[in-house]
Order: sequence, then C-alpha cells, then structure tokens
Amino acid sequence: MFVLFSRKLKDFFTLSLSLMANLARFSKRALRSAHALARQHVQAQPVLTAQRSFATEAAKSIAPAADRVKWDYRGQRKIIPLGQWLPKVAVDAYVAPNVVLAGQVTVWDGASVWPGSVLRGDLNKISIGFCSNVQERSVLHAAWSSPTGLPADTSIERYVTIGAYSLLRSCTIEPECIIGQHSILMEGSLVETQSILEAGSVVPPGRRIPSGELWAGNPARFVRTLTHEEILEIPKLAVAIHDLSRDHYSEFLPYSTVYLEVEKFKKSLGISV
Amino acid sequence: MGTLGRAFYAVGFWIRETGQALDRLGSRLQGNYLFQEQLSRHRPLMNLFDKAPSVHKDAFVAPSASLLGDVHVGPSSSIWYGCVLRGDVNSIVIGSGTNIQDNSLVHVAKSNLSGKVLPTTIGDNVTVGHSAVLQGCTVEDEAFIGMGATLLDGVYVEKHAMVAAGALVRQNTRIPYGEVWGGNPARFLRKLTEDEMTFFSQSALNYSNLAQAHAAENAKGLEESEFVKVLHKKFARRGEEYESALGGVHETPAELNAQDNVLLDKVPKA
Repeated sequence: MFVLFSRKLKDFFTLSLSLMANLARFSKRALRSAHALARQHVQAQPVLTAQRSFATEAAKSIAPAADRVKWDYRGQRKIIPLGQWLPKVAVDAYVAPNVVLAGQVTVWDGASVWPGSVLRGDLNKISIGFCSNVQERSVLHAAWSSPTGLPADTSIERYVTIGAYSLLRSCTIEPECIIGQHSILMEGSLVETQSILEAGSVVPPGRRIPSGELWAGNPARFVRTLTHEEILEIPKLAVAIHDLSRDHYSEFLPYSTVYLEVEKFKKSLGISV
Repeated sequence: MGTLGRAFYAVGFWIRETGQALDRLGSRLQGNYLFQEQLSRHRPLMNLFDKAPSVHKDAFVAPSASLLGDVHVGPSSSIWYGCVLRGDVNSIVIGSGTNIQDNSLVHVAKSNLSGKVLPTTIGDNVTVGHSAVLQGCTVEDEAFIGMGATLLDGVYVEKHAMVAAGALVRQNTRIPYGEVWGGNPARFLRKLTEDEMTFFSQSALNYSNLAQAHAAENAKGLEESEFVKVLHKKFARRGEEYESALGGVHETPAELNAQDNVLLDKVPKA
C-alpha cells in the first residue's frame, strides 16, 4: 500500500517537473520572440539618435541575414586555398591548428608557425625559410607592390626568429635574424643578415637594417653593432625554438579523431552517417 | 568485379575498425594525459543574451573572428581572421565597405575613468590595419588606421585622416581631417596629399573584392574543399621555370582559377 502511494508520488513529481520544464521552455521562447519583435521596432530609434549622421544610413540598412552562418562545427580551416594557390607546409614543419594560411604561403622544412598567427599570401607570396619560426599571434601579409624596388613578397630566409605579435608586411628578412616581439615591419623593408631588431620596433616603409647591427625604437634607429658572440647565438636561438616545436608537433596525431565526434553528432541529429 | 569491390570494401572496414580499436587501446594507455578531440565550439557570431550581432549578408566574417554582443556590420565590409569585436557593454557599428584586418581588436569593455562609456563607431570605407586595437573610439568615413595602432577611449578620427603604423593615440585625442598622426604618444606628423586620400578609398574597395574571394573559399563545404585538394594534387605544377623551359601549357580546371578581382586588382603604392 505504502509502496503504491510512494510510486504515485514519484510519478506526480516527475510529471510536475516535466510540466515545469516545458513551461519554462515555452516561456523562454515566448520571451525571446517578444524580445525580437520589440527589438525590431525599437532598433531604429536608439541607433539613429546615438550615432553621427554619416553612420545612420548604414545603421538603418543593416539587417541580419537569415542564412548567415552562426556556427560551423568545423571551425576555421587551417589551409585556405585561393584559386590556384595552395599553401604548402613541409612535412616536418609545425603549424599550430590555430593558424590561418591563405593563398601563396610556403612553410619550408623545420619551420614553425605558432598559435594565433595569420599568414595571408593573397596578394603576393609568403615563404618561411628553413628552421625559421613565426611566433604567436603574428600577422604576415604581402602587399601587391612595394614602394622600393625590392620584391613585394614577404620572404623570410633561414634561421630567422620572428617574435610574438609582430606584423610583417611585404618585407625581406635575410638569413639569421631576430625580430623582436611586437615589432612592425612595413612595406619594402629589408633586414639584412645577422641583425637583431629589438622588441616593439617599427620599421618604416623601405627602411634597411644593415647587417650585424642592433636596431630599436619607433621608428627603428641604430643602437649598436652586435658582438661576435651575439651573432653566433642567433641561429642557436632558431634551432632551440625548432626543438621546442618538435615537442608541440608530437602532441598532435597525424589525423584528427574529430570524425568520431562528428559521427556521434550526426547520429544524434538523425543524419545518416 | 562486384564481389571483388565488395571484398575490398569489407576488408577496408575491418582495417578501420582495427585502427579504431587500437586508438581506443592507445587512449587507455595514455590514461590521465589523454586528450580527446572536441568539435570546434568557436562561434564567429555570438550573442550575449539579448545582444546579438547583426551582420549584413554581403559582409565577410572570417570563421576565426569573434563578433560578440551588440555588433552591426554593414554591407561589403570584411572582418578578417582572428579579429575580436566585443560589443558587450556598448554597441559597435561598422559601416559599409570597411575592413577590419587580421587579429584586430575592437571593444568597449571597460568604463572610462571619466565615467563615460562610449560606443565604438567605424564609418564607411575605413581601413583598419592588422592587429589594431580600437577601444571606445569613433572613426569617420574613409580614414586609415595603420597596422598595430592602438586607439584608446574617446579618440575621434575625422574623415581622410591617417593613424600611422604602431601609433598609440591617447584618450580623447581628436585627429583632424587629412592629417597623419603617429608615434607613441601620437603626435601630428604631416598632412596628407590628395593622392593619398584617394588611395584610402581605393584600398578599401580592393579589400572588399579580396574579401569576396576569401568569403567564397571559406564558405565551401567539406565535399568542395576535398575536391579542390584532389584537383591541386592532379594539376600540381613544378614551378614556372620547369614549364616555360618545356614550353608546355597545362590546362587548369575552372575550380582552380581564382576570381578575377583577386588577380587583376592592383593596390597602388602608398
């Protein structure tokens, strides 16, 4: 008797819980649609009053597209071919999964491109030489033409270390250099072999950093020449970072196993696998 | 031949099952240090409760960009790879034909020291260079923000003005029409010539065209991108010297041809 009563109580509880859950879901949905309706009517006014006149036309005509992709399970592809140009990555080069290589990009042997970088070779070529590294969050781009006579593609020769958060645009970096963190190299600049650029330096367009010297500042100015020991350290740094990238590289399987998750996902949605 | 094909298919399945079982075995051996791959949960357009980004359908938003909160993007604009546009506290309005280049950051997150919280407004045909940081500032039409520039709260950049690369523009600075400001802290450098001002509009237009090529490429589904990979392997060229020495001409399939605007558009020199 007691068992029956407790079972009835359990049923009652589950029923009420499910009712409440449904109620919550419906009310949330109703609230959301009411919100959307309200926003559509009210959206024009506050935007108009808050913005300068030049932006009102733009604000009035912006409407979210119904087919705008809000989320793609694949995320961002690492290698983006543009037409005939396919970015080439050497077999033992480490390119983090976070990186975007687009257009004409070649990453040669032993090189590494660390997370967050964007290498956009859509207007011109980008090549990362042997055992060089492009550290985190850098942006390498190449303009169509450069103001100096130098080739407008960004070419980074061997044993170059490009520090984190640097921006390189259409520059040529000769072998064995160190570019400090957060440095900005503009169109047509040339960094000659065995020179070091301090962190935070900005190299104006068409500037040449002579060989064997240390430059710093915004705009980059000469600081001192490098001693022989420092020059010998430059390729050693590149090789050390290459060894570090081996550790990072070995963390990744040759092929990702995301396909298993995708199959589970598709099965849960009822799409045939 | 049907039975042979089916035999290969079955053997293929056995090998894959064996591989998956070996994968599970290896995962067990790895124990605590195992990493299980997850689907990418990165959302290019993310809404914060009721503040949703509204992006025009002609605009290119890179999949690795993040538009969070109250962000409006106009037609023909482009938000490139790795950008973060954070409209959580206030709104961000980006006009038409504007490009926010790679790894830039636009936000209105903190409240000002003076207590004002400013919406960020970027007009039409503005070029914001790579890795720029714009916080609570207003940029009028046809301006040019150089790469790596940092614009702090309350900065007002007027039409056709230019912020040089790597500049740090302090709070509440107003950059007048047609001037170049640069350095840290940003100072007046020089006035812009007419050619340079027209160059800004031209560069914004070029970027819109480039963005269309990237948008088309990023929107490709799995089948299309795999097909393109196969085509690249088949028509792999050994380099221009090899071809011209032989004098042969290779026929490239239509899918491998870039859009005209990518190849023909030239960005004039700065």
